[in-house]
Amino acid sequence: MVDIWNVAILDPVLNGLIALSQMLWGNFGLAIIVLTVVVRLILMPLTFRQTKSTKAMQELQPKMQELQKKYARDQKKLQQEMMRLYKEAGINPLGCMWPMLIQMPIWIALYQSIMQALAATPENLLILSQHLYPWDLVDQAIPLNENFLGLRLSQPDPTMILAILVGLTMWVQQKMVTPPATDPRQQQMSSMTTMMMPLMFAFFTLSFPSGLALYWVVSNIIGIIIQYFVAGGWGYFNFPSFRQPRPQTQPQSATQKAAEQPSKALKEGDKKKG
Amino acid sequence: MRKVRNLIRVVILLGLLLLVFVSGCMPGMGGGCSGAQAQGWSSFAPYNELICFGSMEGSVIALNPKARSEGKAFPAETEWIYAIKTATPGSACGAMCAPSSAASGKGIYATPLVIDDLIFEGTYTGKVYALNASRGVVRWIYPREGFETVGAIVGNIITDGKALYFGSANGKIYALDAVTGDFIWEFQTSNKIWTAPVLDNGIIYVGNYGGNVYAIAAETGREVWSIKIPSAVASSLAVKDQLLYFGTFDRNLYAIDKADGTVKWKYLAGNWFWATPVIRGSTIYAACMDNKIYAIEAADGKEVWKFEGDGQMVSTPAVTDNHIFAVSEKGTLYKLDITNGTMISSVSVGYTVYGNPYAEGDMVYIYARDHKVYAVDTVKNHVDWDFSSEIK
Repeated sequence: MVDIWNVAILDPVLNGLIALSQMLWGNFGLAIIVLTVVVRLILMPLTFRQTKSTKAMQELQPKMQELQKKYARDQKKLQQEMMRLYKEAGINPLGCMWPMLIQMPIWIALYQSIMQALAATPENLLILSQHLYPWDLVDQAIPLNENFLGLRLSQPDPTMILAILVGLTMWVQQKMVTPPATDPRQQQMSSMTTMMMPLMFAFFTLSFPSGLALYWVVSNIIGIIIQYFVAGGWGYFNFPSFRQPRPQTQPQSATQKAAEQPSKALKEGDKKKG
Repeated sequence: MRKVRNLIRVVILLGLLLLVFVSGCMPGMGGGCSGAQAQGWSSFAPYNELICFGSMEGSVIALNPKARSEGKAFPAETEWIYAIKTATPGSACGAMCAPSSAASGKGIYATPLVIDDLIFEGTYTGKVYALNASRGVVRWIYPREGFETVGAIVGNIITDGKALYFGSANGKIYALDAVTGDFIWEFQTSNKIWTAPVLDNGIIYVGNYGGNVYAIAAETGREVWSIKIPSAVASSLAVKDQLLYFGTFDRNLYAIDKADGTVKWKYLAGNWFWATPVIRGSTIYAACMDNKIYAIEAADGKEVWKFEGDGQMVSTPAVTDNHIFAVSEKGTLYKLDITNGTMISSVSVGYTVYGNPYAEGDMVYIYARDHKVYAVDTVKNHVDWDFSSEIK
């Protein structure tokens, strides 16, 4: 299993990354950025589908809430009605997960490639030798230059700048796709989810090689850009300094926004299809 | 419903995270999240009846093979251990995390150097220790207390009897007074040095990861000449007569003129020549990571014979008058006929081996990745005794 993984996925990505580094004047930081962009571009159709599927699910929320109120005491009926609603809207409730699952092996391979290519210890260099293709570009690139913009890509960033960037970009990306909830308890859970991931990754960044953190930052920024253009704006992300807080009317306007914005996005999508 | 969905989302996200890190940390998939830890792979240096080595736990250990063979408790008779104080890997998330610095690993890579009654050891934490070879007591440490370390020392320390010379991961070659440990000079190269320099007629030769080979005057630390080759230098250099020999990351074994660095010949193999070439008579014996041991004519680079083992040949073989003792990365020790490369016998220790085998009489000593020293009797063809360096 491990051999299949190495031969089919890890080794091509690893060697591609190293060869790319050699083509980019031996700059491994640039290679990470370029490869992340290339991979995300290749996966763009999947990302679009995932984003649209998520949007469509969000659009159904008002109707879902109605169903929940209507069948609060009959869970079986509620499930049936929900499935009927999904079917009518042409949505597979698990459909938005597939693109994410398909992308996972590529993310894992990218992650492993970065870790292996940098070969921080002598043992790592020996392990790396087992994965290299006999290409001149690869031969001449080894061992890689780990310095990039003042960072040592095989070492954690001591300045915490990358940790902040990773956390911030991930938080923005999460905020763009997370609709505000009407229920305070749901709101609390939603906020926790939105905060937890960025904090976890920021924490990891403090300990993991900065080459990996660079990959996360670039990947997040591309994610934000895709989200911006697919959803037609910043989505549910509010710039705190631009808006006056209105606690009493916030839940209502948020609900309206949750219902309206996806409809708008879908309509635009329909127009394009037409 | 939304609550359930949020919960599912949290579970999925955490699951994804776990999957990424777990899959990245599987040994077969890359040797851990941040790769393999810096454990070290020191070989052995003889001192009287002792064999001395740097352990994967960061100690210098002197073993008495006779006492080990008799199964005595360690330390017995003249044996000793000196535990080097090292920085704790500064990771907040345990083994999953990268070390806080390149030099925070505890293991020792360099084989100790013995001069008279002193034993010298360079560490991955960037220090050189001079110990009393008979008792394991510190004579001096460089850099002195309060000064910054010099960068990871992976290659062996060499000497001309008066001074010590070694390369460091900070790209510098250092010269120290062997008796006092005082700094004499340093020479900055263009890139990391993970190999040992070689000394010949007052000139130090060393290669680095920038693809440069330098000739430096041992007396003054001044550059005599330097050359740039297409790939980084993978192995330590060996010198014989007029030529220098070394392996590179473009899978070549190079022979260059020691007078000016002119390339005389190169031999292309299937992987890196990571181990230091060994020269005996007019032949070079070079272990290659394409699983083979090559015997090559030193003068013109023509292949004499080759032998293929069961795994990568990472370590430098021990060469005696009649035999070559080579260990594969899979832990198989091969005894080869030096004239034609025919295998005479083989013994497996069953664990990964990166360190060089050390031959003394009929015995060959191997330090494997299971933290054990194996004493292999190459006549009876079995492991005579083993010793774990994980001493509690």
